Amino acid sequence: MSTFLLDAQNLGISFGGLKAVQALTLQIPPNALHGLIGPNGAGKTTAFNLLTGVYKPQTGSMTLNAQNLMGLPPHLIAKAGLSRTFQNIRLFGELSVLDNVMLASHCRGHHSIVATLFRSPTFLAQEQAMRRRAMHLLDLFALAPAAHAQAKSLPYGDQRRLEICRALATEPRVLLLDEPAAGLNPSEKQALAKLIQTVKAQFNLAVLLIEHDMSLVMQVCEQITVLDHGCTIAHGTPSQIQSDPRVREAYLGEPTPTPAGT
Amino acid sequence: MPSALDATTNAQLRRPNLPLITLPWLACALLGLAMLMLGRFLGSYQETLMQQVGIFAIAAVSLNIVNGLTGQFSMGHAGFMAVGAYVAAATTYYGSLLHFNTAELQPGLFNFGHVLMLIGLLAGALVAAALGYLVGLPSLRLRGDYLAIVTLGFGEIVRVLLQQTSPQVNGKDPAEIAAFTDAPLRTLARIPLNGALGFEGVPAYATNLWIWTFVGITCLAAYRIKESSSGRAFLSIREDEIAARAMGINLTKYKVRAFVLAAFFAGIAGGLLAHAGVTTSPIDAGFQRSFEIIIVVVLGGLGSISGAVLAAIVFVLLPQVLHPIKDYRLVIFALLLISMMLLRPKGLFGVREIWNILPRRAAHTKPGATP
Repeated sequence: MSTFLLDAQNLGISFGGLKAVQALTLQIPPNALHGLIGPNGAGKTTAFNLLTGVYKPQTGSMTLNAQNLMGLPPHLIAKAGLSRTFQNIRLFGELSVLDNVMLASHCRGHHSIVATLFRSPTFLAQEQAMRRRAMHLLDLFALAPAAHAQAKSLPYGDQRRLEICRALATEPRVLLLDEPAAGLNPSEKQALAKLIQTVKAQFNLAVLLIEHDMSLVMQVCEQITVLDHGCTIAHGTPSQIQSDPRVREAYLGEPTPTPAGT
Repeated sequence: MPSALDATTNAQLRRPNLPLITLPWLACALLGLAMLMLGRFLGSYQETLMQQVGIFAIAAVSLNIVNGLTGQFSMGHAGFMAVGAYVAAATTYYGSLLHFNTAELQPGLFNFGHVLMLIGLLAGALVAAALGYLVGLPSLRLRGDYLAIVTLGFGEIVRVLLQQTSPQVNGKDPAEIAAFTDAPLRTLARIPLNGALGFEGVPAYATNLWIWTFVGITCLAAYRIKESSSGRAFLSIREDEIAARAMGINLTKYKVRAFVLAAFFAGIAGGLLAHAGVTTSPIDAGFQRSFEIIIVVVLGGLGSISGAVLAAIVFVLLPQVLHPIKDYRLVIFALLLISMMLLRPKGLFGVREIWNILPRRAAHTKPGATP
């Protein structure tokens, strides 16, 4: 019995000859804020896809709260308590903002077709509970005024926040955020940093964050894992990572052997 | 904390559901009444047209669950209709021979013949739904064109199998009836559905009143599905399968559920067609009929129930209206379809309903009322 909420060990997958992710070990205690960084193509999003079941890991093991997640399809992993956002926003564009969030609480209910057709009291009560919960979440994200707007009509920043809001509606234990700050301006990034910390505290969950914006990562994350070419090259606190020569090398290239010119 | 919330919000939360419940019932009642009144003024030709419109409407509304809400492209809907049609036709025809000793239409507003029809409709719908389950399963792995081909193949299989059935018991020949009533099971075991000639002589119990009652029931069911958690699951699959899965939607379950529901109501549409005084023919299972239903669904707007009904009316009546211009009417009809797709590529109403579009004022008040 590990003390970690999410315990992924030695996860690996290769596509043909390309080893996209190798021996990835992520151990996230409850209520932690963990960063996953690396240069472009390092395998960060692939790691998310392994964790959420989009790809089946070829090696390793994965448990959430001691429940085995290996080989489960994505919808059962979501039900087990792992929810995510997407790097390139994947909202249900034609649906309303409210419906987007209500849909995400689907996996927490029972939806018999007979009850639906006859609008049984339990069905109505459940729909109301879903609606109430969704409105509550939207309120928290200041999206409630736009509840009946089409999701695709929202401004970009709101769409990013709606994705987080939708992910929370599945009632996750661990929230996976894939580049939530991409395309946001500095003040929006600051608001996002605050939002992530509020959400983490209020919903009592662990957050795994992929992000290219280093100031954001260093500001909010307690632990950071660095990937390069599918391999874990460093792991530690933000200050440890900042002074790690291998991380510098991965991002900036090899240092020149003799600094002759200067 | 949740219990306190429950108490305060229960009353106010019931209100937004009220129009969802009453509106469709009101529409159904009005429709039934209109049909009853219309029956007094319509000639038999107009009555036949109304029957066709109603059956097309049921077929289109049901196909809309798969093609419109769930975004899976099925081209075998006529196959499900034909299965429902033959099961219902055989139930009523052979049931009538056993019970009344004749397949003639029994007089009266409601008699055992109607009971037989209702049993037949239910049986046909259930058999169609079971086949919908089988056809829905591959839809997990297949999408787009490939799924379309599989469903098209299903319709053709139904058509070919129906052509292989043995001749039906002649309801006009007392000797044949006697032979049948003596050993009904042995006769039925050779599947007497009259092969390529088509199943004839089913008593025409499905009047406009019956057909439009079922139109109302189908629309109500479709509407309740659309405005439910299952409906949102269907729509999310249409919008983005990857995101739907990540949000905990079981794709297999909901794709299969869409197929089963669509096939069930297609079975009812077919069963009604079989009782509308026409010969039930294997050709009805073919792709031409499937395409016609797809056209109606696309015309009405993928996902729109009222749109599908309106499009069914246009689709059946337009060729009749254009009758005076004879051979050119098909050209005009095709041109109208093309211009429709150019001007409103999402169909008449898109995914919305007629009452969401007509009263603009209601749409304005809605967002303000929520907080």
